[in-house]
Amino acid sequence: MIPSWILDIFAAVMLVVAAVSAARLVAASPRRHRTRPAALADIDVAHLLMAIAMAGMLVPGLRTLPDGVWEVVFALMTAWFAYRVAQDAQVSGARALAGGRCAPHLIHAGAMLYMFAAVSAPAGHGPGRMGGMPGGGMSGMGTLELPFLALLFALVLVGYTIWDLDQLSGPGTSGHYSVAAARVTPAGPVLAGVGAAAGPGATASVAVAEPATVVVAEPAEETPVVPPASAPADGTGVLAPWVATGCRIAMGVTMAFMLVIMI
Amino acid sequence: MSEIAAAGVRAARPGRLGAGAGVARGAPDVRRLLQLALAGLWLLDGVLQYQAFMFSKGFSDMLADSASGNPGVVARPITWDAALVGHHLAALNAIFATIQLLIGIGIAWRPTVRVALATSVAWSLGVWWFGEGLGMVLTGDVSPVNGAPGAVILYALLAVLLWPSDRPGRLAPFVAARAVGAPVARALWLVLWLGLAYFALLPGNRAPQALHDMIAGMTDGEPGWLAALDRGAASVVAHQGLAASIVLAAVLVIVAAGVYLPAPAARGTLVLAIVLAAMIWVFGEAFGEIMTGGATDPNSGPLLALLALAYWPAPARTTPAPVAVVEEGAAAS
Repeated sequence: MIPSWILDIFAAVMLVVAAVSAARLVAASPRRHRTRPAALADIDVAHLLMAIAMAGMLVPGLRTLPDGVWEVVFALMTAWFAYRVAQDAQVSGARALAGGRCAPHLIHAGAMLYMFAAVSAPAGHGPGRMGGMPGGGMSGMGTLELPFLALLFALVLVGYTIWDLDQLSGPGTSGHYSVAAARVTPAGPVLAGVGAAAGPGATASVAVAEPATVVVAEPAEETPVVPPASAPADGTGVLAPWVATGCRIAMGVTMAFMLVIMI
Repeated sequence: MSEIAAAGVRAARPGRLGAGAGVARGAPDVRRLLQLALAGLWLLDGVLQYQAFMFSKGFSDMLADSASGNPGVVARPITWDAALVGHHLAALNAIFATIQLLIGIGIAWRPTVRVALATSVAWSLGVWWFGEGLGMVLTGDVSPVNGAPGAVILYALLAVLLWPSDRPGRLAPFVAARAVGAPVARALWLVLWLGLAYFALLPGNRAPQALHDMIAGMTDGEPGWLAALDRGAASVVAHQGLAASIVLAAVLVIVAAGVYLPAPAARGTLVLAIVLAAMIWVFGEAFGEIMTGGATDPNSGPLLALLALAYWPAPARTTPAPVAVVEEGAAAS
């Protein structure tokens, strides 16, 4: 049986993610931050809901909503991000599926839906850890049906987590996953280097290149994008892009952990 | 200064991670991608180590089992370690899992890649002895089909070969040669795959039903479709132990020699190595038995494939020398 304090630690991390995501939503509310596109809130809302749900799965005392409600929530969330990925795919093709801005969130939402829908309890289980799950079986944990799907989700989540860590610590860090760059407009002129340096999972940086710097930057391989001229100096404090990416990393690790221990 | 400008300054700074020969502007840095794959495997290992089984007596028993058949000098520390783990199961296993998690995160986080790779080598060697009984290579009861020479030693080998430095002078013909040089890298490859060929021909693996029993024995606790797949594969090699061993050894020898061949032939043997690794992973290792809930790692299949990719010949340089180098992974996309 997994010691309860380990589950408590992961649950605590999820509560921190939930708090940070809530703070981002408040800080970026239209009244406070008129220039931040409202559509960007979907990621913070997703982080908030997923973190609350995972904390409740890990520690029964933190359970908030019935499992059926969470299933509906994550089914809707999966559909929403599938729609967003399809939108991205119209602009950037297959790259949106491989590592676009919304693809990781689609996987996260799908994994949550799978965890709630596929968990089953071995016979003779009693209440215990992971009791927030519909199952909660032997040792207090439920087991997932279709374990290969759990493995597949875990592998993809690990992949995105590793990629996020690399991008977060790499060159042009502050430009990756920039919230302000999420609603960029395909255009002719190229802001050289940003797309190529970012790679899958990244969007264009909001930074405006100085002429001299463009020389050393990578030529853009993706659809060239240019941020709105009035792009705000978003991405400071709790709204910094790395904060959202950090939340995603924490959730990716926790979600992979949960999938594996419920196999 | 803009973000792009900042990136540019970093790119021009010499001596940094990956900045060096062979990292041409615009070319994806294959070594960084392979490092990330290795990081992913470590992260997966860490997560697997948190499974409920690892906090049970079954884990310490599993460690103790790796002492059987080994010489006393190897076995005694394993027995001592298994007893220690058994007494402090929760704390020690949580530490083990966290170390592996941190190694994965450390490799993926660029500033800590060297520390993490160095730690991974030390950790792998320790686990190879105390956790895997030196991969059981001294017991004679080992096969390339079920994970020889021990998956964890392959992590150490990959960490060495993917070390983020470049030897001065000529461009490396493949990624694995960048840190240690082509002769050493080729020698390591040769020793590994010839070793696997030798293991395939051990008496225990030549017995008529040896391979059949090995594959059929992987079905316990697996999902139905995978168990059926393994049973099918087992039936194919039933009573064919000797022939299967010889064929397998021959293929392994070809793979071993492949890195000394001209690039087109080398690519062919590396494809063969990857296909073989995939077959071993699916049929011999049942995806590392991850779906049984008792696996500590995905076993050797993915690591052998990753290793083969590290030896993939670099494309011949037909363009002028690069005008700029970029920080490792910057162009990887």
